[in-house]
Amino acid sequence: MESIDTKSIQLGRNVERNVSVASALWFHLICSLGIVSGFSVSRFVCSIDIVSNTDHFLMILWAVECPIVILMFGVIRRDSSKCSYLRAVGRGLLGLPTGALVIALCAVALGAPVGKKYFLATVNWSLLMSLFTVVPTATVFGSSFADWQRLFANTRPVGSIDYMLCVPAHGAILGSWFGAWPMPLDWERPWQEWPVCVTYGGVAGYVMGLCVSFGLVVFSSRGRDHVKGE
Amino acid sequence: MKNRSSLKWRLISPFVVILLLHCLAIVLFTRGFLLTRTELPHSSACSDVIDSPCLHHHYDGDDENRSSSSGSGNCNGSGWTRATVDRVVIIVLDALRFDFVAPSTFFEEKKPWMDRLPILQKLASEPGSSARIFKAIADPPTTSLQRLKGLTTGGLPTFIDVGNSFGAPAIVEDNLIQQLVQSGKRVVMMGDDTWMQLFPHHFERSFPFPSFNVRDLDTVDNGCVEHLLPTLMDENWDVLIAHFLGVDHAGHIFGVNTTPMIQKLEQYNKILETVIGALKDQSKPGGLHENTLLVVMGDHGQTLNGDHGGGSPEEVETSMLAMSLKKPTFSIPSDLGISNCGLNVLWLSLIQCVAVAFHSTGRKYALAPSSSLISLLQYRQCLEFLSLLEGAAIGRVNPLLFSLGAATWFLDGNGTDGLDHQLDGWMQHYVNSLCINAWQVKRYVDVYSGSSVIGFSSEDLLHVEDMYSDAHDHWSHATRDLLSSGPEAYISSLPVVMRQVDAYLKFLDGVVELARSKWTEFDLKLMGVGLCILLVSLLVQLAAVRRFDKHFSFSLPDGRAMVSVGLVFALSLVLIRACSFLSNSYILEEGKVAIFFLGTAGILDLRYSIRKKKFILEAISSILLVCVVRFSTEYGISKQSSSSSGISPLGSSVDHPDAISLTLVGSILSMLVLAYLLLKFVAIRTDLGGQKSVINGTVLCYMLIIAHWVVESNLLTVPPVLHNIGRTWIPRIIYAVGILQLLFLALYEYSLRKNTCDHQRDLIHKIVAMTSAWSSPIILLAGKQGSLVALATIVGAWCIVRLGNLGLGLKDGSSNYMTVFPLPVTKWSLLAVTLFFCTGHWCAFDGLRYGAAFIGFDEFILIRQAILLTIETFGFSLILPIFGLPFVVAYLLPNEETKKTKNSLFGRLALVYLMYGFIAAATTTFTVLCVAIQRRHLMVWGLFAPKFVFDVVGLILTDLLIFLAALYYIDPDENIERDI
Repeated sequence: MESIDTKSIQLGRNVERNVSVASALWFHLICSLGIVSGFSVSRFVCSIDIVSNTDHFLMILWAVECPIVILMFGVIRRDSSKCSYLRAVGRGLLGLPTGALVIALCAVALGAPVGKKYFLATVNWSLLMSLFTVVPTATVFGSSFADWQRLFANTRPVGSIDYMLCVPAHGAILGSWFGAWPMPLDWERPWQEWPVCVTYGGVAGYVMGLCVSFGLVVFSSRGRDHVKGE
Repeated sequence: MKNRSSLKWRLISPFVVILLLHCLAIVLFTRGFLLTRTELPHSSACSDVIDSPCLHHHYDGDDENRSSSSGSGNCNGSGWTRATVDRVVIIVLDALRFDFVAPSTFFEEKKPWMDRLPILQKLASEPGSSARIFKAIADPPTTSLQRLKGLTTGGLPTFIDVGNSFGAPAIVEDNLIQQLVQSGKRVVMMGDDTWMQLFPHHFERSFPFPSFNVRDLDTVDNGCVEHLLPTLMDENWDVLIAHFLGVDHAGHIFGVNTTPMIQKLEQYNKILETVIGALKDQSKPGGLHENTLLVVMGDHGQTLNGDHGGGSPEEVETSMLAMSLKKPTFSIPSDLGISNCGLNVLWLSLIQCVAVAFHSTGRKYALAPSSSLISLLQYRQCLEFLSLLEGAAIGRVNPLLFSLGAATWFLDGNGTDGLDHQLDGWMQHYVNSLCINAWQVKRYVDVYSGSSVIGFSSEDLLHVEDMYSDAHDHWSHATRDLLSSGPEAYISSLPVVMRQVDAYLKFLDGVVELARSKWTEFDLKLMGVGLCILLVSLLVQLAAVRRFDKHFSFSLPDGRAMVSVGLVFALSLVLIRACSFLSNSYILEEGKVAIFFLGTAGILDLRYSIRKKKFILEAISSILLVCVVRFSTEYGISKQSSSSSGISPLGSSVDHPDAISLTLVGSILSMLVLAYLLLKFVAIRTDLGGQKSVINGTVLCYMLIIAHWVVESNLLTVPPVLHNIGRTWIPRIIYAVGILQLLFLALYEYSLRKNTCDHQRDLIHKIVAMTSAWSSPIILLAGKQGSLVALATIVGAWCIVRLGNLGLGLKDGSSNYMTVFPLPVTKWSLLAVTLFFCTGHWCAFDGLRYGAAFIGFDEFILIRQAILLTIETFGFSLILPIFGLPFVVAYLLPNEETKKTKNSLFGRLALVYLMYGFIAAATTTFTVLCVAIQRRHLMVWGLFAPKFVFDVVGLILTDLLIFLAALYYIDPDENIERDI
């Protein structure tokens, strides 16, 4: 961790958008491990099942994932010289409920059930989704509109950090969008309940996004090396 | 002038071609798919028997003493034939699988749910018992309502029973229950409230319990149990029907192989034990149930998952147990098979046992339980309902059951000599019943062909005629012989009688085959041709879109790919939505799915507008609008499930007076906003011309609607005169004004209006005038929610049009139409779909709001009320969107381009309409395809067919409205002739 920090300071603003392949690998691995450990904590430690106890399951998942994401992305915050690590963490913590609110609103517009019964599940689910999508970017970029626009409106990531922020986030959103598809089917399975299959979709999309983003990081760094070599 | 009209014609002609193609395709497909049967309102009376050629004398049978059964005074106490039992207890166990009842030895392997009703097996296997288990085959659709209809009318179920009842499912055909009531029988019903829908006024007493909540396993059953035993001890009924639902619901929720199901079956076993015990206690001579027939039957089966509705063996095979409480008058020789078969009295072995006597009786078991029940009841009471007749095209007498009813076990012709006399008397009775039944069926076929729109073909009729005369000739001989030779001839005549039975059964089987092919078999060829034409029409539409695009697009560089993100997204939305109709679940949730897509489009718009930093407000408000529409749709759905009766007064499901007045105030406020918008439009556009008066007329109508609502709500006390005026005359005035407005607009368009140079401005005037003219009746019919929905429509349209501008100028203004229009048009059509659901409709016939057809009118005139109902149903989802669609064109393009070429404006208009038509046709095509694929699916009649009807009607209406709109709006310039 230390090494990334110093390296990015040394390399200056232009290279700040990139991290080395090795550290990117660590990032992705830790992110995936966060999810895996979240699942296993709820499964084996608390012995909670997502179908029977969705609220708690999601809560454990995001509670486990939250420190990992915020602390990790705080390390690669932009302008690390001007912006302290704590500040980045604070931005991430602030981004968590804000993002959750936006995501919950979107979900309701798309038809997520509303009501007392689903309230906690929706809150926990949107917090989790917020961790996948909004929080990393908030930690790294804060409230810089240009960066948000570049990542989420134009989808034009530049450099490996952008890939790491943008691709898994889009993966998670697309995944949960597709995850909603089985919900109307009349199979009467418990996992068709909101937000179980949407969570599955989101997590699957996020993991796939992690894979893709790692691939892109590797690919882009090769290109960079190539350019450097020339 | 010639140029003008020819150019106009060229712009409009594709719409005509498409309309015709769609009509043709749909007519062909519908003829193959929607099986229709006309309900005959006639019912037979027992006096009709005189007309029949059958033997009328009643043989001197075993039990003269009870030959005058109670209450049927109108036919000399005899009815069609003599009653053989006094009372009937019918216990219907919904979704009773055959293997619930039949012993497990009958199947290859024993499953946990088998042998859970041991009482029935015990009854049937007891030596000397008069109980038998039958396997009954139901006709699909195996849904309770259709089955009950089939059971009581003896008809084959079809999708559309053309009757004169407008919406209510009550049976108007001649039916068992009605015949029973007519002959003075007292019928008591308890259990499933479906019976009450079918027979609202027939029952002497009834204890209906709501059946719609599938998750509720016990309410209906407990209600039945509570009333069943006390009623059994009563004297004041003749027929008792108890309909248990628990097994059906347990199947739906949990499946067959589950503990709740087994618990249910065990509970039933206990109930049946008690019932049978109670009956047996009273079955001694002189007892209450001395001559009672107990029938325990299923109305259909179910699959292992608990589904039913389709035609798979598991679903159609159900079971029936019939038991006579009267002890057999003579013992059954045990070496004759039946008793030995014991439980195997089931279908096959039963045929074997009986086949000696009755060849070809096998197939009769393959009939619906309806046949069994009908035949059952035939000998039972005064059998007037043999007469069931009309309608009992498939009713036949089931010999074994008949014998049961007569409490004389008929075994076969080789029985001990001592039995022969009784046996023969019984046979006479049986043949006579068959004769009457055959005659009735024949009469039914004749009357049906005479009165139905789609009757039997003449060859079929000839065939029926032949079969009948064959059978009858036979009978004439036989009767002559019998009459001439007296009672001694009975024995010798037995073979004659046997042959006669064969002849009648052959006739009845023939008719059933015929009716089945007529009423329940799809014509795949016609369906295929219709589907192909629909697909061809899709291609025609695409070709037309391409052609128009080529002709009217400006500066399309050849190298540029035609594909844009908007086009791809729009196409995939349409495609996904269309494909979703292949699954019944998505059809059920269509409204939610449409909102899901609309919301997705809104979110993508938001993203896009953030990218361009423009129209962010519009994007956010469109998402908010989606939320609003979503919640009102859910509100509508909750109304759907809570009100079981389809006719609920609009917007008044909240009964609290405060809530009523609150909704009223909200509606009135939004009405005022609408009026204000129109007035403002008039004020801004000073060059409106004649259309100004139309818009002012609409504003006036809005005020009248407000007055109407106030009067309707009863919040203010108004004098009765005013009340009457407000209730009936205001709506009529509004309809009249609407018609006048439309007429005026049409006339104005063709004779008075002078062309100005600003075509776009003209177009907007025309659109506003047209939509406002339609809006007042639509809002009136939609009820108090109407004005709110209209407001939402305007906001939605505004958002779509504004956001559509985002796609413009992306590539420095030279973007072609295929990148600009598809997305807004798709969203427009999605908005229209969501409005359909949001106004409280759904694709089922109980989703129609029959109440709306009577706004302003009290009496029923089919055409007038049908038109009102159509306007109400499709007002917000077809009429307003289609007439408002040109807004997309009018606002959505760079101004200087429009002014330059007028014809390009109308070219675009035609293009947009083609796209809209394509979207409608694509979804409908998939619905049709899905219906064709799923024609044997379990939900075909419950879900797919209504959806099919709605979509098809919607498509034709869409085409027609697009054509009219194009006729009205498209007005190309004769001077500037582009190379089209």
